Amino acid sequence: MDAAYSLASWLTRNEARAEDAVQEAYLRAFRFFDALRGDDARPWLLGIVRNTCYTLLERDRESGAPDEFDEESHREETVAPGAVVSFPVNPETAAIENADRQLVQQYLRGLPPEYREVVVLREINDCSYKEIAAIAEIPIGTVMSRLARGRRLLQRALSEHMERKDTGT
Amino acid sequence: MNCRDTHRLLNGYVDAELDPAGVLGIEEHLQACPRCRALYANLRAVQTAVRRHTEFRTAPASLRARLEARYARARGGAKLRSWLTLAAPGLAALLLAVWLAFGNIVDRPNDPAQTRAKVVFQISQGGSASTALRNLANHLEASPNATVVVVAHNEGVDFLLRGARDESGQLFEAAVMKLKSRGVDFRICGNTLVRRQIDTAKIIPGATLVPSGVAEISRLQTQEGYAYLRL
Repeated sequence: MDAAYSLASWLTRNEARAEDAVQEAYLRAFRFFDALRGDDARPWLLGIVRNTCYTLLERDRESGAPDEFDEESHREETVAPGAVVSFPVNPETAAIENADRQLVQQYLRGLPPEYREVVVLREINDCSYKEIAAIAEIPIGTVMSRLARGRRLLQRALSEHMERKDTGT
Repeated sequence: MNCRDTHRLLNGYVDAELDPAGVLGIEEHLQACPRCRALYANLRAVQTAVRRHTEFRTAPASLRARLEARYARARGGAKLRSWLTLAAPGLAALLLAVWLAFGNIVDRPNDPAQTRAKVVFQISQGGSASTALRNLANHLEASPNATVVVVAHNEGVDFLLRGARDESGQLFEAAVMKLKSRGVDFRICGNTLVRRQIDTAKIIPGATLVPSGVAEISRLQTQEGYAYLRL
């Protein structure tokens, strides 16, 4: 349940909504839970949690509830599966590693959902590419290209922040 | 491996998702190329920063308590149902005894399980799935003890793919899971997936993969005594 709640809170960025999503997802899942084979249960459940989160967020949007982080949520996926993602070489590896907690969380929360979900599933829920593919309903190649893109966005945000801090601007 | 391939596969390398050949290729290239080494160091730095500063969030105790109470109730219901299922063969044995007494089917083995109807439904057309599932549900109403297997192949596999919906926009997955919870087994043809280039990740979790749908149907008929219905 912690895995479900953790994912929901990163996807909804709102604790009350995360509770709603987990509760609704579990109610949907309970009815079928016993029929599942063990190995399938985790990605299947997390997939339901994910879809429930997006349904709730969609409902919030329709009812006009503001989501302060949501400016980019409807952006189209622009990185084709397997596309080459070029990384800018950044000499400040140590600076990124030493970025503070608040900053990392802030930038992760600010990632567009399609990148945030793969990064959260990988780094926080510790899912394999295969599991992420099943949860997010995308091919494994897309899992890798979205992770690449998501990490690159984080890297750029963090290193730009560090530069601003260093030059005092 | 060159820089281009390395960029493409570097995330897979960081996440230990590459095969041994890929790992070796990347490691050789990283040794030789300082630029890619820097990329790798940055990628690791981002990963370290995210892992260090984002916690796995624990569900609030109140939520846990709420859901566990509901789940306990749901399981209680399931136990009652399974007790009924256990009691059913007893009833079936009684019926069998009555049948045997009238002497019509003397050479049936005296095993209550044998009195359960075994049916394999074939679904091979895309448009017919919702009708098929409705017939199936009716069949179960009429014959709750039947052992039912659904074999989907050709265009008939579509309803077992994630996100598939029937004509009224309902997700097939919900109907499938409901039938599954009543003991219906869904099997999907591997040959069809290969031929139609469908990724196995697209199949809903309730379905089991078999190598060949047609072979599975004839095996069930000839070796396990299933009746065959085409929907």
